[in-house]
Order: sequence, then C-alpha cells, then structure tokens
Amino acid sequence: MNNRFSRRDFLKLAGLLPASLLAPRLSRMLDAPALAQEKPKNVLVLVFDAFSAYDISLYGYARQTTPNIDRLAKQAVVYHNHFAAGNFTTPGTASLLTGVLPWTHRALNLNGRIADPYVTKSMFSAFKDYYRIAYSHNGFANTFLKQFHNDLDELIPRESLYLESYDSLISTLFKNDDDIASVSWVRSMKVNEEGSAYSLFLSHLYESLQERKIESLKPLFPRGLPTTGLVNPYLLETAIDALGGRLSEIPQPFAGYFHFMPPHHPYRTSREFFNVFKRDGFKPVEKPVDVLADKISKEQPRRRTEYDEFILYCDREFGRLYNYLESSGLLENTWVVLTSDHGEMFERGISGHGSKVLYQPVVRIPLMILEPGRQVRADVHEYTSAVDVLPTLTHLAGQRTPGWTEGVVLPPYAATTPNRNVYVVQAIDNAQYASLTQASTVLVKEDYKLHYYFGYPETTEGELVKLFDIKSDPEELMDLYPSKKGVASELLNELKDKLAEVNKPYL
Amino acid sequence: MATFITRRYSRQGLWSLFLVCAFPVHFWTLILVFRDISWLTERTNAWDAIGVASYGMIFAFAESVVIFLVLALLGFLTPKQWEYNRRIAFLGLLILITSGWGMIGQLLFLWNVFLPAQAIQFLRSSSHPLRIIYTVCLIVVTPTVLLPVYAFIRSNRAVMFMQNLMERLALLTTFYLFFDLLGLIVVIIRNIG
Repeated sequence: MNNRFSRRDFLKLAGLLPASLLAPRLSRMLDAPALAQEKPKNVLVLVFDAFSAYDISLYGYARQTTPNIDRLAKQAVVYHNHFAAGNFTTPGTASLLTGVLPWTHRALNLNGRIADPYVTKSMFSAFKDYYRIAYSHNGFANTFLKQFHNDLDELIPRESLYLESYDSLISTLFKNDDDIASVSWVRSMKVNEEGSAYSLFLSHLYESLQERKIESLKPLFPRGLPTTGLVNPYLLETAIDALGGRLSEIPQPFAGYFHFMPPHHPYRTSREFFNVFKRDGFKPVEKPVDVLADKISKEQPRRRTEYDEFILYCDREFGRLYNYLESSGLLENTWVVLTSDHGEMFERGISGHGSKVLYQPVVRIPLMILEPGRQVRADVHEYTSAVDVLPTLTHLAGQRTPGWTEGVVLPPYAATTPNRNVYVVQAIDNAQYASLTQASTVLVKEDYKLHYYFGYPETTEGELVKLFDIKSDPEELMDLYPSKKGVASELLNELKDKLAEVNKPYL
Repeated sequence: MATFITRRYSRQGLWSLFLVCAFPVHFWTLILVFRDISWLTERTNAWDAIGVASYGMIFAFAESVVIFLVLALLGFLTPKQWEYNRRIAFLGLLILITSGWGMIGQLLFLWNVFLPAQAIQFLRSSSHPLRIIYTVCLIVVTPTVLLPVYAFIRSNRAVMFMQNLMERLALLTTFYLFFDLLGLIVVIIRNIG
C-alpha cells in the first residue's frame, strides 16, 4: 500500500481547511450533538441567596464588595442584566430549577411547592446520565430538592452542614416536615424580638444552653453567628469545605446544585469584614418612599452596610471554593454557574425582599458562567432570565434542551440573540391553583421595564402601572408612564394577554 | 423506688400535679398560637399554620412533663408529715405563681411596657444598675411567693382553696390534652406524607 501523499490528495485536504477553521465555532453554535462527542463536563450551580446585583462591585456598585468575584470574572461570561423570576426564595429558586416561570410551576407562596407536573421536570431530570447532587441551607429551597428526590442521586441533609445545635434535633426528628417543625420550634423555644415565646420556662433554659454550645465561635462573628432565620447557626466555611471535599469524591460527570444562605438576612459577617464599610462616606441614591411600602424602615443605611459587609464574606468563600476547584483540577472540566434566587433592597422605605415591589435591586441578580478553558472575559448586556439557566446548561453539556422550559439558550452560546420578553412574578398571597388576582408583575422588553401591580388595596382602582427605561435610568427614578402612554399601553396589553393565557387553566 | 415515691405521693395526686403543671404551659402556648395563626396562614397556608400549632402543642406537652418531673422531685423537700393532698396543693401553688411571673415577664414586652424614663436615667447614673434591678425584682417577687406560702402553711382554708382551684383547672387541662392528641395526629400525618 502506497502511503505517500499525492499532490491531488493535498489539494483535496486543503479545500477542507476553511471548514476546519470554522468547525469549532459552528459546533458551538449548533452544538448540542457536537459537544456531546467530547467527554461530558460537569455542571455546578452555586446560588447565594438574596444576592443583589445592585450591591456587587462587579456590576458597578461603588463599594468594593466582591474583589474575588471581580478577579475571577476575567475568565468568565458575565451577564449584566439578569433577572430573577420572583422576589423571594420560593418562586425564584423554583424557576431556576425548572426553567419555567412562577405562574407555570405555581410555587407562589411562602414555602410553596412546585406543581406536580413539574416535579419530574427539573435541572436534575434534565441531567439523567449525570451524578446529581444537591444541597440547600435554605429550607424553602430544600422543599423543592425533596420534591425532586426521585431525580437526585444525593441530597445532602440540610442540617448536616449547620453547626451542631439542639435545633438540628428537630430537623432530624421530623425529617419529612422539618420546615414547619422548625418554625414551631423557633416560636416555642426562641424568645423573639417582641420578647415572647410559646414556652414559658424551657425557652430560657434552651437559650442559655444554646449560647454555651457556640460560645467559642462568637468572637469570630461580632454580630452573632449567621443563622437560617432565627435558628440553625451555620458557617459558610463549613459548607464550602464540605462541597469541595464531596465533589472530588463523587462520580463524574456530575450535576450539582448548591444553595447557600448568605448574604440573606440576618447579615452577620465575620470579624474580618466587620465595620469595614462603616462611615466610608457611601451615599446611596435617594429614592421616594413607595406607595406599597409596608412600614417605613428608618434603618436602611445601617442594614445596607451590614448586608454589603456580609457580601464580602460570601465573596471570600467563593474565592476559596474557586481555588479549591482549580487546585483539584475540577475547574478544567466543570461549567460553574454563580447566581442567586432573588435580590435584596434598601430603598423607597422597603428593606429586604418578598415585599410587593419589583424594583431592580430585588430582581436583578448576578449571573456568571465560568467556562472551562476560557481566558477572556465576555460581557453580555442582553436582558436574561433565571429560566434561561437550565436550557443554557443542558445546551452546554450537550444534553437535549428540555422541551418544557420557557427559557432560551443564552448568548454567547446561542446561535442568535434572544429576542423575547423577560417576566418577573410575585404572587405570595394568591392561592396556588387559582387565577392571579393579587400579584406584582414585571415585563422587560427592549430597554423598557413595565411594573404592573394589581389586587392590592393600597393602589387606586386596584392596579398600579409604572414604566421605566432601565438603560438610561437604571435607578428607576423617572416613571415614564404618564409621558409614554403609547409604549406603556402596548406593553401592558402584552402583559395582560400573557396573564390571561396563564390564568386560563384556573378560570 | 415505688415505695419511695408512694411515701410522698398518691397516684391520683401525681396526676393532679401533672395537670396543674400542664395548665399554664398549654394556656400560654394556645394564647400565642391563636395570636400567630392568622399571620402564619397569610404567609403559608392553613395546613401549615395548623402544623405549626400542632407542633407547638406537642412541645408544650413535653415541657409540661419536664416541669412535672422537676416539681415532683422538689416535693421531696417538703415536710414528711404533710399529707399527700397538702403537698400537691403546695407544689401546684408554686408552679402557678412561677408561671404567673413568667407570663408577666413576656406580657411586659408584648404590651411595650418599659421602665419610665426617670427610672432608666437613675439606673444609668448608678454604678451598679444590674444589682439595683435584681434587688427591686427580689423585693417585688418575694412577697408574692412568701405570702401565699405562709398562708398555706398556717391556714387550712388556703389549702382547701388551692385544692378546689386545682380540681377546676384539671378539667380545663384535660381539654388542653385533647388538643395535644389532635396535634399529635396532625404531626403524624404530616410526617407520614
């Protein structure tokens, strides 16, 4: 057999050269099957609860809250206009995990559950051939993880990464109902801010025993140890160490979902960051008190400062996790997604999240994808949604994009830029399986953001509409509704049509 | 062991003591549960709110058992010559007074009752504010314990009164224990599901 290359052979192959140069790009654009040819990469979703893009220096916040994230973003795809699907854990997390909006998965209420049809339609069912592992500090998110248990290979028990405390006894004892059991335990044993507890005697005994148990850690956290609500003290360090350790043990490829409590309230940073922003001269933009503010919070500057200092703690731990993934070699074959379930706000007389309003700080969240091998940062300014994360991940992993998702594959991985509406939905007091009669909704289209609130007694005629141009007015100070009635009514009609469509099954 | 216990208590007496221990604990839990229930229902749903109340009742039952055991042990410090019923009535009196102060302590916060500004100013200016607070508390609380105890030791009428009161409370507490049972059923259902 003559193995020599003829001139004709060379020319034939040379003709394929342009195609070979284009191939990687094409395969990325078309890509699911092509990527699937490679060794499958791991997928790791890291959620920091109540992490607002507004307070992140990576996104232009004046305080340097995320030095590590800023540094690591140099090798990542950074999404600048990413929206949560709701403004508190339940709808936000459910949408991230299922890839559908709250009015579809119906986890609308506090500690609500995902509707049955979507229990088998989640990030975990989409990664069937992967080792699927999950953990959540947050009880509400943990409710979903339990719902998905048939599609999970490993659900790390929530209480296993809390500090040893008597509270964990309740979670262990009432495993199938630990959220409600814990709520009752707190109300029984912890003297609340009003100074009361269901228990007349044991609450005092319990407090002093509990205090003794965590005595040695107290000096490390001057504002008190971080807790999930009023119970379950935890250290983020413990969770990060456990995650790092476990990931190197489990089979690959894996699909992991890890939901960490910080920087969620109570904002209790470590000694290292305590008071670093106190009296730093930072002046937030002044905004008018909103008509839907429940009660005016006078302590917003202090709370914001404490929140920002707590973000520094998250940032440090994220940096530590990154270093761990890098040194263990996992980073070379793992897609890492950093995001949140919702934001947090300290303005317009409202502190925290889960209120009736959907201003940017409470719905605009971080999204950063750390891509194996990427050396150059890419910035995406298109409007994106939490429901896009699942289809994007399946696309990146070479899996079939689930047909049920309402999201799209994100740029720069999609062949085309998504041109669609982004929605945010809050209906905390609406019955789960009923048409939406009391809700806060947002429609983002092009650079306009339309707020549509209805069913609240505080609003005139039962509804409230606001319109902002979030590109030229990111602080949402200038309501364009009175001056741009045409645009507003067009968007409002579109939103109302959508509401009519999603309400149809419940009429 | 049984003889040791029966020297101080009758079976009926121990049951009465348990009921009188359970009364204030359940009473207080129920008041706060009813106070919370609409708040809980608004934020979760009726079933979860019932769940919170049910666990609350179970915890209250457990607390009652603990208090009962402590009090029963305390009863061994009372004079040997006291008859069973007098001992039970005496222990019942102690738990009711203590519970009363426990409730007052929480109610002061719930009703936003604080020290007058002049008193706070006085405490601030003193070199030992805590000592003053504890002394004042002792002065207020001690008579509320000593006077009934003194009356109890001196007067049979006080003993009779206490026994009657315990009988009435026992009926009410049996009703509360029925709530505990319902709570237990709810907790079991929730944990099976």
